[in-house]
Amino acid sequence: MDAAETTDAVTDESRDVGPVVRADRVSREYRVGSATVRAVDRVSMEVRRGEFLAVTGPSGSGKSTLLHLLGGVDTPTEGRVLLGGRDLGRMNERQREKLRLRRVGLVFQRFYLLPALTARENVELPMAEAGSDRKERHERAGELLARVGLGDRTEHRPPQLSGGQRQRVAIARALANRPALLLADEPTGELDRDTSRDILELFLDLTRSGETTLVVGTHDAELAEGAGRGLRLVDGRLAT
Amino acid sequence: MLFEHAWRELRRHPGRTLLALAGVAVSTAMLLDMLMLSDGIQESFRDLFSTSDYSVRVTPAGTLPFQTGATIDGVDELRRRLLETSEVTGVGPVLGSNLLAAGDSVRVFALGVDPDRQGIYRLLEGREPAAPDELLIGDDVRSQLAVEVGDSLRLRTGAFLGGTGGDGASARTFRVVGRADFLYASAGERPVALRIDALGTLTGRRDRASFLMVSLREGLDADSAVAALRERFPGVGLASVGELLEQARERLSYFRQLAYILGTVSVIVTLLLVGTVMAVSINDRYGTIAALRAMGISRRTVLLGLGVETLVLCTAGAAVGLGLGLATAEYLGTILADFPGIPRAVRFFVFDPGTAALALGGTVLGGLAAAQVPAWRAAGLEIAPTLHEEEL
Repeated sequence: MDAAETTDAVTDESRDVGPVVRADRVSREYRVGSATVRAVDRVSMEVRRGEFLAVTGPSGSGKSTLLHLLGGVDTPTEGRVLLGGRDLGRMNERQREKLRLRRVGLVFQRFYLLPALTARENVELPMAEAGSDRKERHERAGELLARVGLGDRTEHRPPQLSGGQRQRVAIARALANRPALLLADEPTGELDRDTSRDILELFLDLTRSGETTLVVGTHDAELAEGAGRGLRLVDGRLAT
Repeated sequence: MLFEHAWRELRRHPGRTLLALAGVAVSTAMLLDMLMLSDGIQESFRDLFSTSDYSVRVTPAGTLPFQTGATIDGVDELRRRLLETSEVTGVGPVLGSNLLAAGDSVRVFALGVDPDRQGIYRLLEGREPAAPDELLIGDDVRSQLAVEVGDSLRLRTGAFLGGTGGDGASARTFRVVGRADFLYASAGERPVALRIDALGTLTGRRDRASFLMVSLREGLDADSAVAALRERFPGVGLASVGELLEQARERLSYFRQLAYILGTVSVIVTLLLVGTVMAVSINDRYGTIAALRAMGISRRTVLLGLGVETLVLCTAGAAVGLGLGLATAEYLGTILADFPGIPRAVRFFVFDPGTAALALGGTVLGGLAAAQVPAWRAAGLEIAPTLHEEEL
């Protein structure tokens, strides 16, 4: 099965009633010098369509690593991750890359927008990579920016935007290719309380409308409380 | 979008970009100048030699024209015999001699020629010397001795180093009948031209010549003809223009070596400069690049973006560098025009579009190659660990 077929399969199954993503006894170990660190330790979980899940835990508890594993950014050393029913461990790097592009949206604490591009161009980037034509991506980028409340900031560049606005652009970018799963790693980590609240509202709005399924890794208690369900990680393990 | 993004990305750091552009420009200018220099003199000599139909030089055995004060005796007989051969269609003898002018304070170089058979000057004004007391001057003599066509000029023989001045001292007043451009004159030589019999009489060297310029039958290969003539005229030296060019190339080989070394240095400077600038720029963006890769942006797209950025930087810098290189070559050319012993008409830096394309292409390709290392490193980053490090 080639990359395109894999992606299509995920598309179909992710629309199905099963979990959007499922982790079965997933572990991830890293070598740090001569020591081996287990960042995620035999975690099993699943996220259903339209769900808003918050993964909480102290720094170094493995939240980011778990999100990376769920999104196919990283591969587990043990266990397996099924995204839309497909085992990510059985895909090659090119297939996972294509899957991430079309079916996973990522939001980072530091936004990682391209400062030389306008907000619209940043949102267009994943669509251009996916092969959308210029007109289509121009229109969709405009719609998405309006959706996150930045309809009047489409031609601004990231340095001309506030932190909250930049994160909204990043969320619009993550939604560009209509992903089945949106993963946000500390999305409010660099934002003040009021702006964080706005981002939470936006996430709630997106999940309520059924536009996406959301997993957020966060320290932010208010954001975690706002999520429909919560999981707590301690030392890489799910805390009961 | 890629080119526009690359340009905007470069504009985000104007100081760094300007320094990089300046560095690439200087390096390209140097490469262009060295490429122009490496073949320029030879091409220029070729152009100079091809200004007349005289494709063979006959010299005293073992010498080059005016390399020593030696002369060929019995020129009239030699000329007659040469003209009897099937290869030769024309012979122009040239006798050179240093003379004194302006009350012995200025030295001029007199060229005795047959005005109907010469290929060493172009008449600019007036007419050819028809009588023994008539003379052509060059612009150096005109300006330094303040003589014009129609004026008189008294010349005297003297003893000179190099022995081209003759033995006894005698003098004669000449009438300036024309002004000429002396093709082979080097800086400070102050050439004048008169009839060869008149110069022979003045210097006591009648029926002699420093060298003879020989034209060959049309369609004849000069090297083959010279080989055949050598067997029949063993007492003199014969060289085709091609052989003279080769000798000139050997004599000036250090210019070529210098050009190769400095050209190589300029390419290495470009590699180091672009490699460093791109490495710094890319290192600043590891987090963003890892995030893009995490989002599914392919390695190819990342490499393409960084490649276009390098291309824009190098092309813009190299374009400025070409202009700078041409201006520098022009300036250096005027300085080197006074290089002793080399005809002033010879240009050290000869431009042609191919050379410019080579300098531009060399810089751009060198820059792209240099940027490959940091670009591949960035595109091949381990995504998760890099994001982890960046978030810390």
